[in-house]
This record gives sequence, C-alpha cells and structure tokens, in this order.
Amino acid sequence: MKGLLETVIRGLGNGSVYALLALGFVIIYKATRVISFAQPALMLAGGVAVSHLAEVTGFYAAVPLAGLLVAGVALGVERAAIRPMVGRPAFVVAIITLGVDVVVRVVVNAFIGRDVRQVGDPWGFARVELGPLVVQQRWLAMLAVTAALVAVLFAFFRHTRHGLAMRAAAHDQEAALAQGISVGAVFALSWAIAGFLAAVAGAFAGTGQGIEQSSWVIALKALPAIIVGGLDSLGGAVAGGLVVGVVESLFQSYQGEYAPWLGQNFAVVSPYVVMLVVLLVRPYGLFGTREVERV
Amino acid sequence: MRSRCLAVAAALVALVPACGVIRGDDERGGGVRAPGVTAEPCPFAVDKKKGCIYLGTVSDLTSGPFAALAVPITDAQKAFWARVNKAGGIGGTYEVDVTTYVRDNKYNPEVHRQVYNEMKDRVLALAQTLGSPTTAAILGDLKAGSVVAAPASWTSAWEFEDVIVESGSNYCVEAMNSVDYAVEAHKPRSVMAVHLAGDYGADAAAGAKIAARRNGLTFTDVETPSGATEQGRAITEITKRRPDLVILTTGPADAATIVGQAAAAGFRGRFIGTGPTWNPALLKSPAAPALKALYEQSSPGRPWNADTPGHRAMREALPGVTPNDGYTSGWAWAYPMKAALEAMVAGGDVSRKGLLAAVRKLRTVDYEGMLPPEAGNYADDPDTAIFRQTVVNRVDDKAPTGVTIVKDFYVGPTARAYTFDGPCFAKL
Repeated sequence: MKGLLETVIRGLGNGSVYALLALGFVIIYKATRVISFAQPALMLAGGVAVSHLAEVTGFYAAVPLAGLLVAGVALGVERAAIRPMVGRPAFVVAIITLGVDVVVRVVVNAFIGRDVRQVGDPWGFARVELGPLVVQQRWLAMLAVTAALVAVLFAFFRHTRHGLAMRAAAHDQEAALAQGISVGAVFALSWAIAGFLAAVAGAFAGTGQGIEQSSWVIALKALPAIIVGGLDSLGGAVAGGLVVGVVESLFQSYQGEYAPWLGQNFAVVSPYVVMLVVLLVRPYGLFGTREVERV
Repeated sequence: MRSRCLAVAAALVALVPACGVIRGDDERGGGVRAPGVTAEPCPFAVDKKKGCIYLGTVSDLTSGPFAALAVPITDAQKAFWARVNKAGGIGGTYEVDVTTYVRDNKYNPEVHRQVYNEMKDRVLALAQTLGSPTTAAILGDLKAGSVVAAPASWTSAWEFEDVIVESGSNYCVEAMNSVDYAVEAHKPRSVMAVHLAGDYGADAAAGAKIAARRNGLTFTDVETPSGATEQGRAITEITKRRPDLVILTTGPADAATIVGQAAAAGFRGRFIGTGPTWNPALLKSPAAPALKALYEQSSPGRPWNADTPGHRAMREALPGVTPNDGYTSGWAWAYPMKAALEAMVAGGDVSRKGLLAAVRKLRTVDYEGMLPPEAGNYADDPDTAIFRQTVVNRVDDKAPTGVTIVKDFYVGPTARAYTFDGPCFAKL
C-alpha cells in the first residue's frame, strides 16, 4: 500500500507538469479553435530560460521571470504568425504552429548547447517523509505550484474583466465582438497565458534531471491528457494531465510484475492506450462538451 | 492563389539540387583517380603538390542523444588529419581531407542513409560513421561498394564486418570485463543490466549476462527507453530487486536520473556505466553525490589526461578545448584508417578495393600508446582478432573529464575464455 501511494504521488507530480501544458493547449483551443503544436517549444524555452536566469537570480525568481519572458515570446508568435491567419481553416493554423514549434526549438537549442543544462532547483532528488510515505520533494513542489496556478487561473476566468472576456469570446466570438470585446486581444492573451504555463512546466520538468535538446518530447504527453479531459475543458485538462501522470507511473511500477506479457516499457505507450479507451467510451473526453451537429 | 503556390513549390524543388552546389558538393574536375581521390590538392592543402584523399564523416552533430560526444569526436579527427598532413601526408603523395564532407545524422538511421548517399560517390572511405543502428542502415551499401569505414561506436557486430575498422573493445567485452572486475572489487551476488534497446545497450547487456552466468551470479535484464523522464520503471526495478551490481548502458542524462533517484530511494549497490553513458557534465547535476559514491565507468581506452605519446599529441593539437573523452575516442579511431591509407598508397592500388585489401592485411596498428598495437588486428578471424582489454575508471571531479583510472587495460576471465561466433546482442 505504501509503495502504491508513493507511486501515485510520483504520478501526480509528473502529471501536474502535463496538466500545466494541457491547460495551455486548452486555453488556446477555446479562444481560437486551434490546437497549438508550439507548446513543446515554449516548454523547452521556459526550462532553458530558467537554467540561465537561475544562475543570476536563483531558481525561485527565475521561474516567474522565465514565465513572463516566454509569455512575451508567445505574444510575439501570435501577433506575427497566427493573427494574420485569422479566418483561415483551423487545420492550416495548426500546421503553422507546427512550423513555429520547429523554429522556436532551433533557436532555443542554441541556448542549450550539447550538454544537459541544470535548472538550479533546490530539491534535486531530496526526499521527505509524509507519515509512513517517503516521496521526492520536487513532486510535492510540482503539485503545489500547479494547484496554486490552477486556482489563480480559475479565479481569473471567473472574476476578472479579461477572464470573462475570454470566456465570452470562447463561447461565441461574434456575440463577444458585438459586446465590444476585442477578440484579437483575447487571442493574444490566450497565447501569453499558455506560454507562461508552458514555461513553468518546462522549469519543473527540468528539476532533478535537467533540460536537454530532446526534452521537448515531454510536452507530447499533454496531447493524450487533453483528449482524456476534453479539448475544451480547463478542469478536464487538469484532470487529464493528472490521470496520464498517474497511469504512466502505475505502469512503470507494476506492469512488469502483473502484466509482463505486455512487454518491457509498456508505460511509454500507456497514456495513449488510456486516450484510446476514453475516445471509445466518451469521444468528447471526460469533461468535454458534446457537440451536436444538424445534418 | 493556387498557381502562386505551385510556382513557389516549383521554385523550392528547383533549389534542392542547387543546394549541393551551394555546399560545395560539385563534382570535382579532372584528375580524379578513384572515388574520393584527386590529383588536385585538398581545399586547405599544406603542400599543393600533393593529391587529395577525401574521407566522409556522418555524425550526430546537433540534436541527437550523443551530440555531446560526437562533436568532440569530429573535431579531434579534423585535428588528427591536420597533424598527418603537416607531417607529410600519406606516403608523401596525398593529403587527407575530412572537412568537406561532414554531415549530421541526427542519430536517425534514415537521415544517416540519406546523407551518406549524398556523399558516397565523392569520398574514398568514411573517417567516421557514428552510431550502431545508424551505421547498420548503410552497412549493405558499404559492403557492396567496398567502402571502408571507421565507426564511432563499439558494437560487437563490427568485429564480423571486413569494411569496418573498429578500435578498442566492443560493448559486450566491456560489460564482461566490468562484471569480472566487480566480482574482484565488490563481490556482488546479483547483476542487473539496465540498457537501451538495440546493438548498443543490448550488446553490453549480453556481455553482462554471459559474465554473470560464468561467475554464478543471478542476472536480470531491464530494457529502458531513452529520455530522463522515462526512467521510472528502471528505477523501480533497481530499488525493488536491489541487485548488488548494475551495468548501465544508456545516455548520460538517463544515467544521472537512474543513479540519482535510485540512490535517493536508498539503493546502495554499485553501478558500472558503459563508455558512452558518461559525460563530465553529470558532475554538475543533482546526481553528482550519488555518482561519486556508487558509480564507476568502464571504457575501451584511457581518458583524456593519460600520459602516452598519442594522448600528448592529441592535447597539443587541441589547445583550449574543454576536455572530453569524445576527443580521445575520435583521435584513437583515426589511427587504423591512417595505417590502411599508408599501406594502400605503398601498395600502389589507390582505390576502394586497394584500401580494403590493405585493411585485410593489418595485424597491428601503431596507436602511439593510446591502445595496444594488437587492438588494430583486422587480418585474423574475428574470434582471434577481437581486442579484449578495457579500462575501469572512478568518478573524480578533479580530473579533466571527471574520471580517473582504477583498473588499467585488463582482460577478465570471461572475455578471455569466450568464443565470439556472432554479435553478442543477438544472444541476449
């Protein structure tokens, strides 16, 4: 039981990184109806920015600074590459975000070099006792920071003018425009928030193990997370990220013992298996909106 | 609009062949004596009266998992051949160019094959083909064209290929010697091989398995994917089964995660990493204390700061670089190619077939002390020719590449007795 709970906490820690990334995907999707494939590059940029800034400011100050820096980059990307494509099919814009991802990664790779860069986090692999459980401090830190950011984000959408404007634009862009809401500003804000969240995810993905050129692949695990949770549900993104993290962690710990016939390293594909199962049962995800189309 | 798109697409397609010219891949004019051999001097010739032998390099130069090793390997080989050219070239008639045809494989077999195909008609041989799965992707072509290639990998499969001029013990021998060394030094009762898939990781794991059986130790095989975030299962297996010895054959970031997290979970067994598993940058990671306490590093040769004529020449030729044993490996790998080129020119048949014939006659190579001469035996049958000595290092943050020798060139009883009749990884 102790081992199971420790495995779940590890999964929740890693899952909270996936949740932050998934939130970015969903916020952009709700605002623009486009899945942004630039999130991996923004995550990498955040991790790398923290690794450089932490040498000067320390880790705690470097994380928000890197978040703001990457939010600025995301704003620039939205203004230069995405805004001119408003009105084009979502598929075309999604392909453009793929191109943006490659370009940003090429630039960021120059700041990584060939070795692994450490993000300067204070936890390393240090552990802490929680009653009978012994867990890594960084997993608790990931979970706590994600919980705080999610709380702030949900308060922003519920109680602030800009947050309400984003919800209105997500619900019906034309009606929002008619009410004087700047849909362009909503697009920009959604990219900035997604960039900030991706940067924080990148910083926490680098804790303990560092950031290298191939670290961007971590962000791909947010894709099954958003499908599991539902493409247009913020709560679903958080739940999906945590589910993916926990499922992956459980497979890493127990599949070899209980289902060795699945072969070694089934944990790598387990998030995608969960995604397929959810798609079969609930095609719009656990918390997604069921779309009704007249034919 | 559609026509404009078509026009842009057509322009891009038209640019593709032009790229070759932009890169300087144009067919060289008169004086071509064989593929990759010209009577004209090399582009940066020391002596313009000499002809030029072009050697290609296909390496992991930017984004692959071994870029931190591959770039120093490539730079060391450029310095090695510059030194050869300054010393009079090959047979007094040719200089060697290893700078014109250098391409990035991104550690992807498909890319490797593609860039090799682009250069293959313009080079005599390959000064470097990095990676086991990547080189396997062009092996058929190398054999069909009698193209000799120096690998930047140590899989046991190369022992059975005439066109490959490998240097140093393969991963399989290295792991055998590591287990035998540990039996002496740490008295383990159980061994676990944690390794990447394929003929890098599986080759070492097979060697560990053979040595574990010979020493009467229990053996567990754990294949793990590449990527620091994917090591959860490997860490769980180590902390659950608690082997006395782990033979680790992964990338450096994977190794730091595995050793660091296993140690944090209370694991106190020993780790011995196979050559490419180490990178001195790991000493800046949170895993550094665990690496210093639990980790040793096997390698096919001595590290950067060893005191041999070859090591001294390398250090003199590479002033100001940050020490890295990629340089050491790259430099050592070039000696057999130099010996074969000299024998080919002396024999008078300056061609691919002439070079391959010269390789087949090499029984020893002068590595200037970096490796024993018998490491360059390409004439005898594989089981006789295989070099079976490796080195074991400990982590030392004061050493230039983070490691110092604890056991110099050594053959364990397992490797000494083992009969190699095929690549080890096929027997895991």
